[in-house]
Amino acid sequence: MASLAPSPCVGCNEHREQSLVRLGLRPDKWDVLVALAGNPNTGKSTVFNELTGLRQHTGNWPGKTVVRAEGAFVHGGQRVKLVDLPGTYSLQAGSTDEEVARDFILFGRPDVTIVVVDATRLERNLNLVLQILDITDRVVVCLNLVDEARRHGISIDPDKLSARLGVPVVPAIAREGHGVNDVLEIALSVARGEVRTDPFRIPEQAPRVEETVAALTETVQEAFPGIPNGRWVAMRLLNADEAVAEAVRSGDLGLLEGSETEAEAAVASEEQRQSVLRTASTLRWQLPSDFHDAVMERTYAAAEEITRGVQTAGLKRVGFEMDRTLDRWLTNRWTGFPLMLFILAVIFWLTIAGANVPSAMLASGLIDSAHPWLKGLAAAVGMPWWLDGLLIDGVYLATAWVVSVMLPPMAIFFPLFTLLEDFGYLPRVAFNLDSLFKRAGAHGKQALTMCMGFGCNAAGVVATRVIDSPRERLIAIITNNFSLCNGRWPTQILIATVFIGAVAPAHLAGLVSAAAVVAIAVFGIVMMFLASWLLSHTMLRGEATTFSLELPPYRPPRILQTLYTSMIDRTLIVLWRAVLFAVPAGAVIWLVSNVTMGGTSLAEHFVGWLEPFGLLIGLNGVILLAYVVAIPANEIIIPTVLMLTVLTAGLAGVGEGTGVMFELDSVQSMGDVLIAGGWTLLTAICLMLFSLLHNPCSTTIYTIYKETRSAKWTTVATVLPLAMGFVVCFLVAQVWRLVAP
Amino acid sequence: MVDPVLALSVFFVLSMATVLLFWPRWGLVARLRRGSGWDERIQLEDALKHLHLRERQQAPTTLEDLAGKLEVSTGRAATILVQLVEAGLATAGDDGPSLTDEGRSLARQTIRTHRLWERWLADRTGVRAEDWHSEAERMEHTLTAEETDRLASRLGHPRYDPHGDPIPTSGGELPPLGGRSLRTIPEGRAVRILHLEDEPRELYLKLLDLGLAPGLTAEVLESSKRGVLLRTPEGERLLEPVALGHVSVEVLPLDSEVETDRRSLAEVPVGEAVLVTGISPACQGPQRRRLLDLGLVRGATVTPELVSTSKDPVAYRIRGALIALRRDQARWISVTTASDAAA
Repeated sequence: MASLAPSPCVGCNEHREQSLVRLGLRPDKWDVLVALAGNPNTGKSTVFNELTGLRQHTGNWPGKTVVRAEGAFVHGGQRVKLVDLPGTYSLQAGSTDEEVARDFILFGRPDVTIVVVDATRLERNLNLVLQILDITDRVVVCLNLVDEARRHGISIDPDKLSARLGVPVVPAIAREGHGVNDVLEIALSVARGEVRTDPFRIPEQAPRVEETVAALTETVQEAFPGIPNGRWVAMRLLNADEAVAEAVRSGDLGLLEGSETEAEAAVASEEQRQSVLRTASTLRWQLPSDFHDAVMERTYAAAEEITRGVQTAGLKRVGFEMDRTLDRWLTNRWTGFPLMLFILAVIFWLTIAGANVPSAMLASGLIDSAHPWLKGLAAAVGMPWWLDGLLIDGVYLATAWVVSVMLPPMAIFFPLFTLLEDFGYLPRVAFNLDSLFKRAGAHGKQALTMCMGFGCNAAGVVATRVIDSPRERLIAIITNNFSLCNGRWPTQILIATVFIGAVAPAHLAGLVSAAAVVAIAVFGIVMMFLASWLLSHTMLRGEATTFSLELPPYRPPRILQTLYTSMIDRTLIVLWRAVLFAVPAGAVIWLVSNVTMGGTSLAEHFVGWLEPFGLLIGLNGVILLAYVVAIPANEIIIPTVLMLTVLTAGLAGVGEGTGVMFELDSVQSMGDVLIAGGWTLLTAICLMLFSLLHNPCSTTIYTIYKETRSAKWTTVATVLPLAMGFVVCFLVAQVWRLVAP
Repeated sequence: MVDPVLALSVFFVLSMATVLLFWPRWGLVARLRRGSGWDERIQLEDALKHLHLRERQQAPTTLEDLAGKLEVSTGRAATILVQLVEAGLATAGDDGPSLTDEGRSLARQTIRTHRLWERWLADRTGVRAEDWHSEAERMEHTLTAEETDRLASRLGHPRYDPHGDPIPTSGGELPPLGGRSLRTIPEGRAVRILHLEDEPRELYLKLLDLGLAPGLTAEVLESSKRGVLLRTPEGERLLEPVALGHVSVEVLPLDSEVETDRRSLAEVPVGEAVLVTGISPACQGPQRRRLLDLGLVRGATVTPELVSTSKDPVAYRIRGALIALRRDQARWISVTTASDAAA
């Protein structure tokens, strides 16, 4: 706005910038600030992407945009800043999402707010529109998904709707890009003040309530003359909305939209502000206890009445019937679970089978070819041995290993999973499994974050954003590590093949070792339920809980866009974080094996110290040291273990040199190295258990911290599985020794 | 190698020790924390609370009465009273001790914390109703006034605790508790439950079992020696004489209708469209707001459409969207058949 119509209140604008920074917005320069609001799953993010060209991931998931996204672009010579608010059903500030959305519309003072509305559920969506119209009158409604509505036999007259709401209404099909530019054009003219709006306000409350509200509205307007939404402020104060009360207390409210001059804004004295709050808390006692219910009832009644006037429904219901048939099959008592297991099995099979070839190719390129070539290059330029070792044997090799093992399965798993998500199947999985998770005090959606964890725990933790109940989300975050991620599968498969398969008769060896790996994964799921139950009944007993699960209509997935976005925001982000952590780990691994103290390497010292404890829990010093230095990624456990075993057992003629991680071509020869290092069947079993039950990798720990913003819960998520691993391995080892001859 | 028997025994002993030390409430650490100087403060505050209760009941406090409440000897109760008087919190008069203004405000602060904490437990946590009181009984002595105010604003300044008791304001004002005992209500009148007494726990449990909650409306069918027979939305319920004093009610106007044969959304078969008539008063806080936000307000049409593979949750068509609710949530929502409402 600033460059268009310089505000008479310079101080106000400065103040607004401050409050925007407080709201977490980057303080760039822009001419128009546009907020994008809407119910969950209305195609809001699609509109955002169409407008900004930014490919923010949009899933067929209610409540995708938990973290606010912003984008900037230039339109008609104006710099436009677009802020995507979290999708909410309401602005009553009942959840964090609602608070974020409400605070932005109220305190961020966008020049215009675009409300994206799902044409197939107009009545439900109007609830939010009406609440926004109570706060601000600069609103444009984007009537999205009109094609889907047509398929469902619903037709809405945008002109009539616009007349009823008193703000422009623009029909759009955002997925195909139709109408999005019109929305922007009209929004900008509303922002410029060229289009006048006359917003619909929710009708009065019952007489007794109305008196109270009117009394407080008067007090508010005396203290803050010129604010356009005095009645709304009064209603919120009566509803004990802490953010609004705080704005009154600090005087911020007077600086919000509508106050024309700074002088006027400053009118509210300390005394007046306090009196508003005092009046509010006295009046609150006069309200009936169902005050809030009544407010919601009236809003919905208004929404219903408006919808009736503008919508014709029931023309034809082809798409709707298809949805119902699909739902019948997918949630049926007899077919629901088999179909679910089949679909998940196909995804896992495609991931494991499909990742082998590219993984081998990457390994041969990055490790077998590029590594010796780099060593040669270093020798040619005369690099000192320690620098060459640190950088190429340590840092480069660790990074190469992580990339070649991690990238291919993630690049297959995540797009497949995302396709299911876009289609709308995943909420049905949560629906089917909810009762199981409920018994452990968790949310059905945890089934999905758990599945995602089988791909990568860090991605699984990010995926918990779809769980909107704080307690259940924390449980899902903390227990995600019990899903055996694909960085741990190779360890499990190798150890099972070498040690467990060897116990069985030759023709059954393959089957037995595969069964052992599956048993570990299933044990992980059992531990996940156990830990969820424990957490929800002890530490998390006092956390908030609300449940609801929207089952969105099925939508044909857009394959190319899904591939693109799931690569960008899942695969690459996770890989990048893993690489960041692998770099220092590579250096540490090389250093501990090459720095010597009193003639022996640090690694041997550490292994010696850790050995007694390792033996106590059925492992050994080498394994524990490997888990300490290889915390960034489970992928490098086996190469590190092999290298350390060769080093400490003093095996000659095996491996690539001190501090150089390696794997051998045949499983059998790797087994030989380990057996020479003193490994037994017990070591193998305990390692498989410990690989399942230990602290998350540092990428995941970091992600948990980013998601929870709490050192406490990050610590719990880190220490809990580790402690469980120690206890389980200890018990297995001791009982084994007691029972075994 | 360590002998496995030894290792396992040490492990067993260590885990037992940890349990004994840190188990909440019974653990040694919890006991020590309670013992060290806490007892005294708790007893003083509890004594103030009791004086306050008697003052509201306009009944005198006797030494025996106080000793019984605090579960201490009369000698100890006398010492506590002396301490209160010395601190200027109470005065000793002819008809027993009474509170000074300062003592009253301190008592109300404690009550405020207690009732707010109960509200918190009821609205935001999974703690069971019969445990609210005992948990709050501990918390009331640990929170500072500022912490209590923060709690109040996080909860949206609630006015009543989950048992229906008014919560004192931060200024120490406490609205009078209206309502009459059920015993005094003539047959045939409709009442609304205002308050359920949460002590003793056994009686409170009995009231909970009968499905009573503040805000519930019922009709007095019969009032006799064997107790009071109520028609509640969930059916006829008999309150034994001993429980009568624990329920206070307000009498509704003569022509007011009592919801009978309440049908909850959980009982509606798939495919039947019903109208929402309300959400149970037992459902409060964010849970209630969520249901309202989803559009489950009075008068909304709801149709159960899909039952999940394991029967719970069920997905309902609510205002065009398909939304799954758990059975526990659906039970809170009372509905009526669409045709009934039309008639």
